[in-house]
Amino acid sequence: MQGNSGRTSYTGGSHMQLGKPPTFVPQSLPRSPSVPSLQGDRPFNSLNRSDPMLNRKVFSGETPVPRLDPGSAHSPMGSAAVQASPSTIGGNSNLSVIDLYGDETDSQMASEESEDTNHLDTLMSKSSLMDQPHRDDYNVTSQETSMQTDSQLPQIPKSPRVNISSKDAEHFDRYGFKKQTSCISEAQYDGWWSEYYQYCERRKSKWVVLMEKHGLPSSDDQVTRFPPKNEKLKRYVRKGVPAEWRGNAWWYFANGQELLDENLDQYGQLLQKIALIEKLPDKEDKYPDLEIIERDLNRTFPDNIHFQRESFQDGEPEMIKSLRRVLVAFSLYNPKIGYCQSMNFLAGLLLLFLDEEKSFWMLVLLTSKYLPGVHNVNLEGVNIDQGVLMLCVQEYLPELWDYIVPKEKHSGSSKGNLNKLMNTSFSSSSGHSHQSQGKNDFLLKLPPVTLCTASWFMSCFVGVLPIEVTLRVWDCLFYEGSHFLFKVSLGILKLSEEELLKGKHHNSLTHYSLNGSQNKHKNNNSPEESEMELFQIVQTFPKKLLNPNDIFEKIIFKKRITFNNLDQDEIDRCRKYVTTQRQKHKPMSDPHKSSSHSNVNDNDDVSEDSDNSKPHSSDSSSHRNVHKSKTFNHTHRSEEHLPGATQDTPYGFKRSMTSVNWNSGLKEKVRQIRKKKDKFMD
Amino acid sequence: MSADAGTTPTATATQAPAAAAAVPATQATSTATKKTGKSLSKYKIVFLGEQGVGKTSLITRFMYDTFDDHYQATIGIDFLSKTMYLDDKTIRLQLWDTAGQERFRSLIPSYIRDSRVAIVVYDITKRKSFDFIDKWIEDVKNERGEENVILCIVGNKNDLTDERQVTTEEGQEKAKLLGAKIFMETSTKAGYNVKNLFKKIAKSLPEFQDANSNIINEASGAAAAGSAPAAGNAAGKTGVIDISTKDEQEQSGCQC
Repeated sequence: MQGNSGRTSYTGGSHMQLGKPPTFVPQSLPRSPSVPSLQGDRPFNSLNRSDPMLNRKVFSGETPVPRLDPGSAHSPMGSAAVQASPSTIGGNSNLSVIDLYGDETDSQMASEESEDTNHLDTLMSKSSLMDQPHRDDYNVTSQETSMQTDSQLPQIPKSPRVNISSKDAEHFDRYGFKKQTSCISEAQYDGWWSEYYQYCERRKSKWVVLMEKHGLPSSDDQVTRFPPKNEKLKRYVRKGVPAEWRGNAWWYFANGQELLDENLDQYGQLLQKIALIEKLPDKEDKYPDLEIIERDLNRTFPDNIHFQRESFQDGEPEMIKSLRRVLVAFSLYNPKIGYCQSMNFLAGLLLLFLDEEKSFWMLVLLTSKYLPGVHNVNLEGVNIDQGVLMLCVQEYLPELWDYIVPKEKHSGSSKGNLNKLMNTSFSSSSGHSHQSQGKNDFLLKLPPVTLCTASWFMSCFVGVLPIEVTLRVWDCLFYEGSHFLFKVSLGILKLSEEELLKGKHHNSLTHYSLNGSQNKHKNNNSPEESEMELFQIVQTFPKKLLNPNDIFEKIIFKKRITFNNLDQDEIDRCRKYVTTQRQKHKPMSDPHKSSSHSNVNDNDDVSEDSDNSKPHSSDSSSHRNVHKSKTFNHTHRSEEHLPGATQDTPYGFKRSMTSVNWNSGLKEKVRQIRKKKDKFMD
Repeated sequence: MSADAGTTPTATATQAPAAAAAVPATQATSTATKKTGKSLSKYKIVFLGEQGVGKTSLITRFMYDTFDDHYQATIGIDFLSKTMYLDDKTIRLQLWDTAGQERFRSLIPSYIRDSRVAIVVYDITKRKSFDFIDKWIEDVKNERGEENVILCIVGNKNDLTDERQVTTEEGQEKAKLLGAKIFMETSTKAGYNVKNLFKKIAKSLPEFQDANSNIINEASGAAAAGSAPAAGNAAGKTGVIDISTKDEQEQSGCQC
């Protein structure tokens, strides 16, 4: 059946060439970015031990790699967990990596990292190596030679452990994803990567220095601990954790080990339970999630070689098996969530970087601590987070906000969001999606653009942003907390604004001017059409954001960008506020969700449960100990002084200058009244 | 218009789809903008149905005439805009691709359920997905009276003859029962009946009620092109597809 007319298809990777020896030839050019170094076997995760592809003797046959997962003292037990053991030592990577790096050409990082530069200088004596052709062959040669050789050669493990024939290899990135996406061509990818991989190497050398300063091991197989959190480390994280360390870094920053230690046997027991369930004749009736999970397994990263079934393979890829186990285990562990589409992407990405058990617990953390309620059956957490995001847009991107909720329908005079915030009366709007501005209606009937942004949160940008950007976001997410997701979202939206303006010039579709805020341009487009255009841009734009630094350097690192003041506390307060607002007005406006509870409430009963959880009971009552997390304490604490949580007052962002809660001070009250007055005068 | 409007009895789905006439994106765009100077009638088309039945695949086949074995699961909602030409008339189609899992139903807001056209897809190899279409249809009808919506029921994957769990007759039956104006079996993999489906849909729209001629060609929406000037890759966001290719016309012979 040839449906594949004229498209470079990558279905199932069936065209991969098996057993064909690598045809990498030492090149005299800078290492072609298009050739993922397949050496490194230091996968970004630890799975696929029994991956049939490993037996293809393409490369790894010659490089028997001892495996050791430094962090996984507790690997899953049970027969089901065969491969859950440990990641490899990526060669004796205790190497003088630093020798490799050297060019401090990255202007962007120059100033803040000058302290490191000195240090580096001393180590850079051999930096000329950089430019020598043979350097580029390390990754190639070392694959085919022994570990000893590796230990002599500076090497940066870069690649997935799966072996791809060289012909195909160039089409995949270092994680096994196809370089070409619907919005990025392979040439674009290669062009960017030839620069970016140097950036990555520079960054890693800095990390190594940092680790050494703190007396921490810095060889790839030993990096399990990180320096104490501080501004510098935060900056380092924002500039990207070295890919080889990522799994461990996430695990460390998210405090996964603590959770695992509290639940030592749990994952193994879940696997045993799964084994029992598998034998039930009516398992699909009793556990409907099984079938739903099953249907998504092959729809998780179909463009990643680790998830693709080879045509010659009898069974399915190990990665798919792991994914199934993690998702099914989770659905048993937390029936309140069960399985929700998008978790397959979360688990899938985790599995690329962590072993199965750790991936499981990270998924638990993601769905509880970082994205509370988002994956629950009623998806109320999605609506809450989207409400929060809309509040943030209204506050921090007022011009875009005018786009999202067109002004047309309201008394045009507002000069910004202050007036909108003043307008507090809460009437549940009827009919259409355009709420009049100045009301909180948009928290109940979320603007259309949230249909798009909702998926950003559900999958933590997996599949939304190109992979390197996504990983940078995940670095920060685990280091900084869930508010970072909002920051990134605002960053993307801000960049989309520019795109929107561009689009405006290209085709006069839009009639809302972003900078002028006047909507005098008349054309035939309805507000709805503009809405759709916005939707389309917001949907497409992030997919083209190939270079992480486009958003990190231009937005996240910029002090003058106001939403960079957002912190976790603010987001927690926002979430609480939106939760309350939605709950209060739900019966009137939203019959669909009348049964929903706020995520905060969910968390309440959760923390009570936590003491019951015994390693034994792997069923519903035992899965909540996670929730002791500080995030929730925050939430409770902030409840007391939360303005507007009980009245229909608008949400007040604290202003960073004073870090005083905007609504709480008398001064602000006065200001509010004055504003209100002004508005009436208008 | 009755439910038996489109039936596809056999699964002789080996015909390759006609290769799309590749037209540079810019050209397509300019054509589109030229012709879309005046106000367009816009029609919302929402794709509903259980996960994995082939909603994304159907859209991709329609838009780009391509197929992959596995598409990433759709999270939330994807939006695509497409301009279609028929004779001298032009319409803009807004295609809303939705996530199939049941819990996502609540996310699909009323103004999308409130579409002019609702395409409810099931998988002929999965009885469950067939049983589920009642729920989707109900959602649509609740939002918009039965009269105002063009309901389409599509049984996808009809190339998988061996795994068939739902017969064509059952499909027709249900379409009649639920008041669907169009019923069709398709194979997005084989490219079977997809263009026919959209042709039929177009012909049921008021804009084309009287037009008997075929849709000549179509080009993707200007909005997409405008927002994606850099995305000139193989996937091809834009292009002109001659929808009335011969092989499909032959197939459509047995449709009516």
